[in-house]
Amino acid sequence: MVKDWAASVNRIFRTIGGSKRVDKVPFLAFAGEQMICRVTGKTVKELYSSPKVYANAIISTFEFLDTDSINVPSAYAGPIEALAFAESNNKLDAIKWFDYKPLMCKQGVICKTEEDIENLEIPDHGRNNVWKNSLLTAKLINEKINFPQVISLSIWSVVQELRGIDAYKDMRRNPDLLLKLCEKIYESQMDVYENWLEIVGMPPNVFIAGYSFNRHMMSFQDAMRYEGQFIKRMMNKIKVPFMLHNCGTSPYFTEVVEEIDFIAVNGSHPLDIEYWIDFKKKHPKIVIIGANIDVSREMLTGSPSDVEEKVKENILSLAPGGRYICCPVCSLPWGVSIPNILAIPKAIEKYGHYPININ
Amino acid sequence: MTEEESLEKLKDAIIKGDSEKAILLVNESIKMGIQAKEILNRAILKGAEEVGNLYEEGEYFLPDLLMTGDAINAATELLKSSFGQESEIESKGTILIGTVEGDIHDLGKSLVVSLLKGQGFDVVDLGSDVPPEEFLRKAKEINPILIGLSGLMTMSISKMIETVNLLKSENIQSRIIIGGGILSKESCEMVGADDFAKDGWEGVKKINNLI
Repeated sequence: MVKDWAASVNRIFRTIGGSKRVDKVPFLAFAGEQMICRVTGKTVKELYSSPKVYANAIISTFEFLDTDSINVPSAYAGPIEALAFAESNNKLDAIKWFDYKPLMCKQGVICKTEEDIENLEIPDHGRNNVWKNSLLTAKLINEKINFPQVISLSIWSVVQELRGIDAYKDMRRNPDLLLKLCEKIYESQMDVYENWLEIVGMPPNVFIAGYSFNRHMMSFQDAMRYEGQFIKRMMNKIKVPFMLHNCGTSPYFTEVVEEIDFIAVNGSHPLDIEYWIDFKKKHPKIVIIGANIDVSREMLTGSPSDVEEKVKENILSLAPGGRYICCPVCSLPWGVSIPNILAIPKAIEKYGHYPININ
Repeated sequence: MTEEESLEKLKDAIIKGDSEKAILLVNESIKMGIQAKEILNRAILKGAEEVGNLYEEGEYFLPDLLMTGDAINAATELLKSSFGQESEIESKGTILIGTVEGDIHDLGKSLVVSLLKGQGFDVVDLGSDVPPEEFLRKAKEINPILIGLSGLMTMSISKMIETVNLLKSENIQSRIIIGGGILSKESCEMVGADDFAKDGWEGVKKINNLI
């Protein structure tokens, strides 16, 4: 059956916008390069080499997984942003490529010293091959299936890649130096946005990978200081609704939505569904993308019927009233069985049509 | 300054994560004739314990733990070098640790290493992107009481399984703990490890329990 992307676009963006005209709960999945390689048999370097090849591989993967979402995994302020910094600062030895999963950056190598931070060159994303091809891929996806691509930005995930564990020590011993690094990363992220505008067009939303908003990483005050204030500045420049992703085990979701006007939150934790029920009660206008379908529990070691039960629980708990997008926590790991992934859209088909029948 | 005051100041320096001050105060305590074990137990470990409590109470965070870890390491290293074998500071055992092959994240692992050293363990850190065979080779060489496998990515689980299988097939008797935010009881059982931890501090507590 041919995938009806127009229906998916309506389902997902109407849910984000809080519309009542949604047929069923949307299914969003984070399928990274490894999943695309697994489905298409292509290597990461093959994917990155041509926007046409990459776009087709992404579309066929997300169609195969029957999601309502689609995105270019590399167009994200994580490893590829580290690659861009590595290139512009002649530190490519910090980067390790893999055949069937995304490249990684050795944390703390690019900004090992104070001097590295002082002299850090901001990448030109329009000239970096992987970034440029990723942006062209996003444009192609827009054109091929008419699915507006959401831009993903971040500060702290890039800080961690460039400065490593020293970033946490800098908070106490040299906060001004750390802020200088954050400022440079902000500048770089705005360059990503400018290139996105030029190549892909205006994004419908910004998806913030806000890795600092985690109790086990830092205080909320520090999270606001080293990431939150920059997100607020992005919001002043990019006039579209922002969504927050955080994959830490003890997120500051309730605190952060009081400070920053996010339209949606997405997290890997907490895994207690009661947390999300309570969050929805307190913040009925904020879309929940989640909530506790665990890629390291039922998705990895369970059966399709275990996954179905979890999806059912999530839908019955969070979908009534709308503003809920069903999504497994974290990206889909290599070892998850395909039937377990496909159990999600099947369960949504069974339980997720509006109005939700909670009986 | 009395002996008591000197040790109290050292404890405060540890709590504040002030390595420079900790070194000065260790030197001062040594000059006063205080024995290494007294300095360790009454100041350094007391300070470490208090920092642990402050973290659990939500007063302290990861940056504070790291600064304290550095201060503890600096202080204990100075004690060992000053007293030599007379320090009577015994290692609680050797721990082998590393991030599994294909994953080069090391934030959580580095935190655990820093804190374990501060608590008196000898830690052999293999770094990141460590192949199963390297864990095995080193485990045979040093016979650690515990092996810690770290991995941030969901894709690291399969490499943890491979590493644990290899270690067990070669009859390595060390306890094994896996660490990473993506882990669960179910995935720990799947890997075949003795326990798992989702963050660095939890890792240190569980390692102490395991041994």
